[in-house]
Amino acid sequence: MLPVDGIPTPEDIMAKMPPPERLARGPVVMVECFQQIPCDPCTHACPRQAILPMKDINEIPRVDYEKCNGCGQCISVCPGLALFVVDLTYSEEEALVKLPYEFLPLPAEGQVVAGLNRAGEEVCPARVVKVVATEKMDKTAVIWLAVPKNMAMEVRHLKVKPRGTTVICRCEDVTLEEIEHLIKVEGVRTLEEIKRLKRCGMGPCQGRTCLPLIAREIYRLCGTEPDSLAWPTYRPPVIPLKLGVLAGGGSDDAQA
Amino acid sequence: MHRHEVIIIGGGVTGCAIAYNLAARGLRDVAVLERYYLASGATGRCGAGFRHQWGTKTNCLLAKHAIAKLETLAEELDYPGGIDLKQKGYLILAYTPRMVEQFKKNLALQQSLGIDARWLTPEEAKEIVPVLNTEGLLGATYCPKDGHANPFKVTDAYARAAKRLGVKIHTYTEVLDIKVEGSLKTVLTNRGTFQAPVVVNAAGGHAATIGRMVGVDLPIKPERHQILVTEPVEPLLDPMVISFYHHLYCQQTPHGSFVMGLGDPNEPKEYNERSSWQFLVQMAGKIVRLLPPLKNLRVVRQWAGVYDMSPDAQPILCEAPEVPGFFVAAGFSGHGFMIAPMTGQLMAELILGQPTSLPVDMFHLSRFSRGELLIEPSVV
Repeated sequence: MLPVDGIPTPEDIMAKMPPPERLARGPVVMVECFQQIPCDPCTHACPRQAILPMKDINEIPRVDYEKCNGCGQCISVCPGLALFVVDLTYSEEEALVKLPYEFLPLPAEGQVVAGLNRAGEEVCPARVVKVVATEKMDKTAVIWLAVPKNMAMEVRHLKVKPRGTTVICRCEDVTLEEIEHLIKVEGVRTLEEIKRLKRCGMGPCQGRTCLPLIAREIYRLCGTEPDSLAWPTYRPPVIPLKLGVLAGGGSDDAQA
Repeated sequence: MHRHEVIIIGGGVTGCAIAYNLAARGLRDVAVLERYYLASGATGRCGAGFRHQWGTKTNCLLAKHAIAKLETLAEELDYPGGIDLKQKGYLILAYTPRMVEQFKKNLALQQSLGIDARWLTPEEAKEIVPVLNTEGLLGATYCPKDGHANPFKVTDAYARAAKRLGVKIHTYTEVLDIKVEGSLKTVLTNRGTFQAPVVVNAAGGHAATIGRMVGVDLPIKPERHQILVTEPVEPLLDPMVISFYHHLYCQQTPHGSFVMGLGDPNEPKEYNERSSWQFLVQMAGKIVRLLPPLKNLRVVRQWAGVYDMSPDAQPILCEAPEVPGFFVAAGFSGHGFMIAPMTGQLMAELILGQPTSLPVDMFHLSRFSRGELLIEPSVV
């Protein structure tokens, strides 16, 4: 409930819904502005005056849906991030939602992100179709998201899925998720292949940390006993040595 | 018992490239036999460079066409992660008047074949490699399109593309013997028996051993070469630096680590993949003089691999005259990785009896008995 948690109820949303026949014709603005506050940039942003001029700056914006063509120029102007454009005609399976986004890093076009509802809960995967972030938009980017059609009225934000955070190889910065992907999706089964594809074991520690952990993942995912795996060769030098020291000059301060 | 149209012995970049090229031309009933894992031999141990700057027309042409293929290989083979391609040139250093003379001859040849290689004064060389100690340097040759690619990824890209087309790849499968009966070859391994009318010997440093199994005498000798790799640092060295005078090469990979190797003229001709501490000391001594700021870089690993040396440092690409259906793609003498895209194509064409896209007759095994060696002067 808005006054309590800031989350609009289904009834609140229904009251802001563009007419169904207008939604059926293509992209159109949805003004999810619920509070009377002194604010009117949206009325000046629309090149077609679809967001009607206000008599009193405290009014809630009203829309002439016939004038709106869903261009989305109003979206980045709203300081409350309350404006969205919804296109139910985007494709057979998907709807397009254009939404404001003020986080960094920006997602990349083509990237699959988590679609969040108005309560901030993940509801579906969403594909980034376009990222609009011009100088004029003052750091409020507009992200075009393709979402399953039944989620068009649900998805109002996105979360860039973080890269896996469990680092399994510290020298080469390889995560558990990357190793799982190699084993589960790419069908890789041996330490030697993982070493060559991800460099695990090629860094300064030479695999002392990562290889036993990776062997355990291979066992967990494929059932191969670590004893029956071929283990990469541990090679000299045992600890990293400076070329200058090997060449016969000075001492290696790392050893001090 | 596995029956195939073609059996390729050797799961290095050459074997996998041949398998892919055969399958891409419609011959998909192909098996690759690898004694260990893919790229476990010379491919995975090589210096990972490629260059246009050769001293014979044949090598220049092979390299030129192969590098053009490497430039688009990730797309051709649908390998999304890419092959760590870097094209920041090779700088080949000249220290004696004889080298200057030979390099200028090489340049004239390269330029006549449309290769963008040029002569640099020591000052110009220093502009490209600011960390270079130019003491005693008379000049250098430079080709900006030379570079680096990741041998594991190139092999993996070929292997995956080949598998998608139906090629069977058997790793940890060591060839123990080959029996020839009529046109059929039976290959005995530690993991069962394979039969095919066509067998390809792409066994690198083991090529002579495989040849002996069918009575084909290949003048290929393994020769150990050693490499070390440093910790990764910010980009510092654009081109591969080669000095035939010091018998060394050194390149910073896209990963940031420096990979460098030495050729030892006194290295015995035997199969030896063991590392030696003497190499670390010699390599460090030479590179610290040539590229002094590298003295602060830490070596994290060293390894050794074998070149499959032929008498003229050129590959043997042919069907063995004594054993029809037994093909040889070996003797690459330290530059098998960089020309593998063309080796794959040419061998597939030879096996399928198609006209070859470059002349290959001069790579025939019979050149040695005829005394028509194609000596390549530019090998580390």
